[in-house]
Amino acid sequence: MGPYDSSISPAAGSSNSSSSACSSSTKPPPPDQMDHLLAGAGYKVRSNDLNQVAERLQHLETVMVKSSPVDISELVNDAVYYNPTDLVSWVDSLLTELNTNVTVPEPVPVNTDLSDLHQFPSDMNVYGSNHAPEMHGEFSQQAVTPLEEDISIRLVHVLMTCAEAVQRGDLPLASLLIDDLQALLGRVNSGCGIGKVGSFFVDALSQRVVNSPQNGVVQVELSAYENEILYHHYYEACPYLKFAHFTANQAILEAFDGQDCVHVIDFNLMQGLQWPALIQALALRPGGQPLLRLTGIGPPSNDGRDSLREIGLKLAELARSVNVRFAFRGVAASRLDDVKPWMLQVSPKEAVAVNSIMQLHKLLGPGGPHGPPIDLVLDWIRDLNPRILMVVEQESNHNQPEFLDRFTESLYYYSTMFDSLDACTAQPEKSLSELYIQREICNVVCCEGSARVERHEPLVRWRGRLTSAGFAPLHLGSNAFKQARMLLTLFSAEGYSVEENEGCLTLGWHSRSLIAASAWQSIPKPSPATTGG
Amino acid sequence: MVHIHDHDAEPYRFSINDHLDLLIEVLKRLDGRSLGAAACVCRKWCAIARNDSLWEHLCFRHVSPPPVGVRPVVSALGGYRRLYMVCVRPVLSRLKRRRIGGESEVVRRVWSQHEVELSLSLFCVEYYERLLVGGGRVAGDSPASSSLKFLCMPVNV
Repeated sequence: MGPYDSSISPAAGSSNSSSSACSSSTKPPPPDQMDHLLAGAGYKVRSNDLNQVAERLQHLETVMVKSSPVDISELVNDAVYYNPTDLVSWVDSLLTELNTNVTVPEPVPVNTDLSDLHQFPSDMNVYGSNHAPEMHGEFSQQAVTPLEEDISIRLVHVLMTCAEAVQRGDLPLASLLIDDLQALLGRVNSGCGIGKVGSFFVDALSQRVVNSPQNGVVQVELSAYENEILYHHYYEACPYLKFAHFTANQAILEAFDGQDCVHVIDFNLMQGLQWPALIQALALRPGGQPLLRLTGIGPPSNDGRDSLREIGLKLAELARSVNVRFAFRGVAASRLDDVKPWMLQVSPKEAVAVNSIMQLHKLLGPGGPHGPPIDLVLDWIRDLNPRILMVVEQESNHNQPEFLDRFTESLYYYSTMFDSLDACTAQPEKSLSELYIQREICNVVCCEGSARVERHEPLVRWRGRLTSAGFAPLHLGSNAFKQARMLLTLFSAEGYSVEENEGCLTLGWHSRSLIAASAWQSIPKPSPATTGG
Repeated sequence: MVHIHDHDAEPYRFSINDHLDLLIEVLKRLDGRSLGAAACVCRKWCAIARNDSLWEHLCFRHVSPPPVGVRPVVSALGGYRRLYMVCVRPVLSRLKRRRIGGESEVVRRVWSQHEVELSLSLFCVEYYERLLVGGGRVAGDSPASSSLKFLCMPVNV
């Protein structure tokens, strides 16, 4: 037997064993010496033995390939000899069955340096994850050494394993994996690429594991002012919000063509950065300027200031400078489904536009006594009979019921977004934007139930949802497309791309779409009198 | 004898400062950098070169068709000189660099309607952000247009 037979053991339950390869020890290796990555897949191997296991597997592969089918027919016909979770003795038994000389290598000095793992045979890809190859392409954007690349790949694998452990409820394993992750993060360049986004995900996972794995944590609320600061810096650092605003404005402008009284309802006013451009465009409208009413919805401010009113005053000042008749109304509501249509005071004579920039997904959470919030809100939007409903949403599926699926999807999505952010060099815009995105990541990974508001869904699902709620798509015209393309050429990074997708525009980084803008108009409800008796 | 050769011998001194309409015609044809340099020559030139109509001409002389009704809006938002400095110059240089790919020759190009509209929109956002800073709503950023900082960032060549 090999020199390490005292350390291997058959797992409990391997009864029908031919005794030649069986060791007498019955204890499985203690958890802290096991390799956690393989443990996540169900194999119990000591980290120290990994080199030897690898060599024996390679040997086994060579033997099996060289053997004629007759020699290995016994293996084919017989049932499993050992519980294969005990990888070491299983390989040994196979080798012995094939009557080869198990050439025992000299025990190599145990090297716990993780860099040796890149010698691990490539067929040990026990995860078979479909996501790994795609992400590998994403992460190798920087010029990394092969070593760093391997650590990056391992980092991703361990993240997945940990997420899966969390989903299963296997907290001890998850904690150990998080320690592994912290160690790996120390070896990667955490200033960019996978190191940076990886650290955010590790933080989020460890928060979840430590605090409340099943029920999720509740994120610390920022004040409205702090939220605005983060939002503003995110607006500066990357083009996603600018794209959203400019595309929405163009569509609203076209929808308001020929109208004299127009009313815009903004689902998230923030600092009103979207509206100066619309006011200016209306000021220069060839047919003359309309009367513009703006209703801004925002969270109530708890620091005594009436931020909605302040923003309204600034916008009014701007409108006055360019001679546009303007009226502002603020509606304070902490959740969109708290807003009632009468608060918006829509007059029947005016043309209404509803503008939702990354707000509708927050309504996809668990429903209240009256039904899912999204259906309620879409219903009263439809009652307002808007000429245009502008919807801009993140293009990703972070609302899947299984935690692992959400985790995987968001890892891919936010890695792409961070890649695009790397091109921005202005500080503090970049750091605060990262903080803004980090809060989103934390919400997707750590929170559950009604605390999880970042329930992004892709465009195809929004299309289905809006169509069944009684809205018909409006095509965003070529003007919006040209404007978006032009806006992007002004950004220094070359990786952004705008695409048109059945009348909707998506903005992405390289081949991955990150944000999608679509326009809708409401189909009037059939009047009750027309339904047949 | 009448001595008149003194007058003939004197060289005829032409001073552009006596013919301001000519000066303006010349300045109208300059590019932005030269116009800015002209403003540094003397106080009189400075006063003339800062005249907004010169900068209006500079901004839109290559626009086809010329935009209508824009003047009151631009004046309200800060004037054509500011529009040129803050929006038109960076936008043009960024677009030009994209087309040619790094060569430094000045290219006379005709703006399209979309480029004009985009520049005006960006200008308006920049004005609004100054309003916000003035009211103390944006945490102490430099007065330099923060929204348009991305235009000033170096292009990856």
